[in-house]
Amino acid sequence: MRRVLLAVALPAVLIAVWWVVSALAGSFFWPPLSTVLAVFPETWNADRIVGDVLPSLARLAIGYLIALVGGVVLGVAIGSFRTLRAMAEPVLEFFRALPPPVLIPVIALFAGYTGWTSKIVTIALGCLWPILLNTVDGVRSVDEVLRDTARSYRLGPVDRFLHVVLRGASPRIVTGARQALSIGVILMVISELFGANRGLGATIVQFQRGFEVPEMWTGIILLGLLGVVLSVLFRLVENWTLAWYHGQRQAERKG
Amino acid sequence: MVRAKIALVAAFALLTAACGGGGGAETTSDGTTKVTIGLIPIVDVAPVYLGIKKGFFAAEKLEITVQTAQGGAAIIPGVVSGQYQFGFSNTASLLLAGSQGLPLRVVAPGNSSTNEPGKDFGAVVVKKGSPIKSAKDLAGKRVAVNTLKNINTLTVSNAVREAGADPKSVTFVELPFPQIPEAIAKGDVDAGQLVEPFLTIVKERGDVPIVDNVTGLVVALYFTSEQFAAQNPKAVTGFTTAMKKSLDYANSHPEEARAVLSDYLKLEPAVQQKLVLPKWPSEIDRPAVQKLLDMAKTDGLITKDPDLAKLIP
Amino acid sequence: MRLWKPLAGIAIVAAAAEIVPRAGLVDARFLPPFTTMVRALGRQVVEGDFWLALGQTLGGWALGLAIAMIAGVLAGVLIGSVPFLRAVTASTIEFLRPIPSVALIPLVVLIYGSRIQSALVLVVYAAFWQVLVQVLYGVADVDPVVRDTARSFRFSRWGIVRTVVWPTALPYVMTGFRLAAAVALILEITAELIVGVPGLGRAIGVAQSSGAVPDTYALVLVVGLIGVVVNVGARAVERRTLRWHTSIRSEA
Repeated sequence: MRRVLLAVALPAVLIAVWWVVSALAGSFFWPPLSTVLAVFPETWNADRIVGDVLPSLARLAIGYLIALVGGVVLGVAIGSFRTLRAMAEPVLEFFRALPPPVLIPVIALFAGYTGWTSKIVTIALGCLWPILLNTVDGVRSVDEVLRDTARSYRLGPVDRFLHVVLRGASPRIVTGARQALSIGVILMVISELFGANRGLGATIVQFQRGFEVPEMWTGIILLGLLGVVLSVLFRLVENWTLAWYHGQRQAERKG
Repeated sequence: MVRAKIALVAAFALLTAACGGGGGAETTSDGTTKVTIGLIPIVDVAPVYLGIKKGFFAAEKLEITVQTAQGGAAIIPGVVSGQYQFGFSNTASLLLAGSQGLPLRVVAPGNSSTNEPGKDFGAVVVKKGSPIKSAKDLAGKRVAVNTLKNINTLTVSNAVREAGADPKSVTFVELPFPQIPEAIAKGDVDAGQLVEPFLTIVKERGDVPIVDNVTGLVVALYFTSEQFAAQNPKAVTGFTTAMKKSLDYANSHPEEARAVLSDYLKLEPAVQQKLVLPKWPSEIDRPAVQKLLDMAKTDGLITKDPDLAKLIP
Repeated sequence: MRLWKPLAGIAIVAAAAEIVPRAGLVDARFLPPFTTMVRALGRQVVEGDFWLALGQTLGGWALGLAIAMIAGVLAGVLIGSVPFLRAVTASTIEFLRPIPSVALIPLVVLIYGSRIQSALVLVVYAAFWQVLVQVLYGVADVDPVVRDTARSFRFSRWGIVRTVVWPTALPYVMTGFRLAAAVALILEITAELIVGVPGLGRAIGVAQSSGAVPDTYALVLVVGLIGVVVNVGARAVERRTLRWHTSIRSEA
């Protein structure tokens, strides 16, 4: 009971403040929250959900999965070999450091702006680097002692890979995957701002172009909710895959 | 958290203080007012550059700095927030902004179509050999425009409707003017709405204009914010006077208007000679504005009448 | 020594970027040969506009990052160390953090247009959560045994923060700094590219829309190199402060 109260208290206060301040402000850019909520259902009707929101999410999912698989596979490969790691490091460093939105004009040269391909490639390329580099780091930081122990227990290479390397690196892989998800959402939106036509990001731009400020706010709120839902989903998956790790930490804490 | 909030609030306060909104014009000791104008880098705005060159603005004690943007929808917020004191925008975006209650005031006409069919400064074009031959064929196709929900989406939709097809089936794609020719060539879009000089550039390579969407229109206007107009009445009347002089001058000296283009556009000499100049009347054709408003209401782009007396005094 | 391997890696990629378009595997209009990009870069660096844009980008990035770092670390240590605050703010942080900062783009365009404030709001918002969340992780990672030991030795609250919490949280703060620095650069460049805030991002947009493909790539290279310098710098600081950590140890 107390926990629920604690969790709800601050958000309730903040929403109340928003409600009152926006109602009193009378500013064109900060319409009353009541107005924003009133136009929400008609703004995000079935047509917009099917025609704009779902395609955006589909592109995000495809791009993200490509990055996840590619990042882990490449990351384990690079992380396991010192020479390869040393050679790849500056190049990876460059691509990780490159803000993904600048790729959009470049990708558009090849694939145009309007189709799905350029948007998915943008999302996948942006999400790849955090996953890849965290995997490399994770594989690298698997305790040397643990590795040697596994070797001396004569675990086969496959077992060693699955139970020692991948498992040992998994907390870092999850960290990378979490960073990648937020970059993915950003790119999902940005990839639709260039050559805007349909999609969640493009719709919000349309509202801005039409000076429909309350509708634009509903878009911002929807994007926010989407980010929250995705992060909750991610948490569920994380708890499921890293149950042993959290259990271990919990045990240490109790001990 | 409290401290973080204080820090955030302080940061935000700094930002808002730095922006201030609305005002932003400096006046030097000799009475010259420094103002910034937001323009789209296209042929339409040549009179501004010509007027600066001829000293029309200096004569009104105005020092003009030009900044460029992609379309009117980006310039209007700039004027409201005080980034620009004056702006150039297409008439449809201005009417739309006015109907949404944005505090704007039109101060001078921008440009109008030549009203010579087939010889106007803007059109919808398709690739050579495209199966799209008329407005009717645009149904269900992707059409590039410089800004969504502006005069171009409106007039193209209108042309499609008049041809008996469903304008809602057209997908508009927002691209800056300079990127539209490339998108058409690659098939990234099926058609594109272009204005000069891009129209001549694509015609040179064989693209075909299929719809004259600008004919009979007051295409664009110059405007300021109500706040700036209230605080700087002298600067605004000065701008109107100088702008009208510039428009008249450009209209009566088309060769000079053509020559000034190379000051702000990179053009092949052949294109510069060939391109069609718009008309630059110095009075606003109000019936034409009303016609555009009616079109926007038929289209559903505008649902509420703007206060025209306030918007275009 | 160890230097030849990274250099070899760079050389291989540069050679590939030279050969692939020259051999016609990729259209050279879309991917110009590496030397063409470098020549375009050479043309750019002698122009004042380039350095102006570079300064604008770095300035906006540094200011935003600094605000986010200070706010993030202070808030993180404070919230993380006080159980009540953690309980009250947890849901709010969980809710606000995943809101993609790009959702604010239409709003800042309306309010600030293409001035630097637009970029600053986006940068601070995005970078702040990176720092805050890492600091919170770090504070939560404090070994309870050590903390209890310190408590039983009657360390003051500030003493615990300084001697127990801070050393444990430091790797996370460094991670937070590295992530925030990268995210801040992403948002700064994004704001320049999409909103038109002056800087390198805007220069990339202008180069690309005027069909100057080699210049586009040259500027993309520059932006990437800035990112590398930022990351390598953060990494160097990290190495100095965290010499004892496992992930550093095996490299030494």
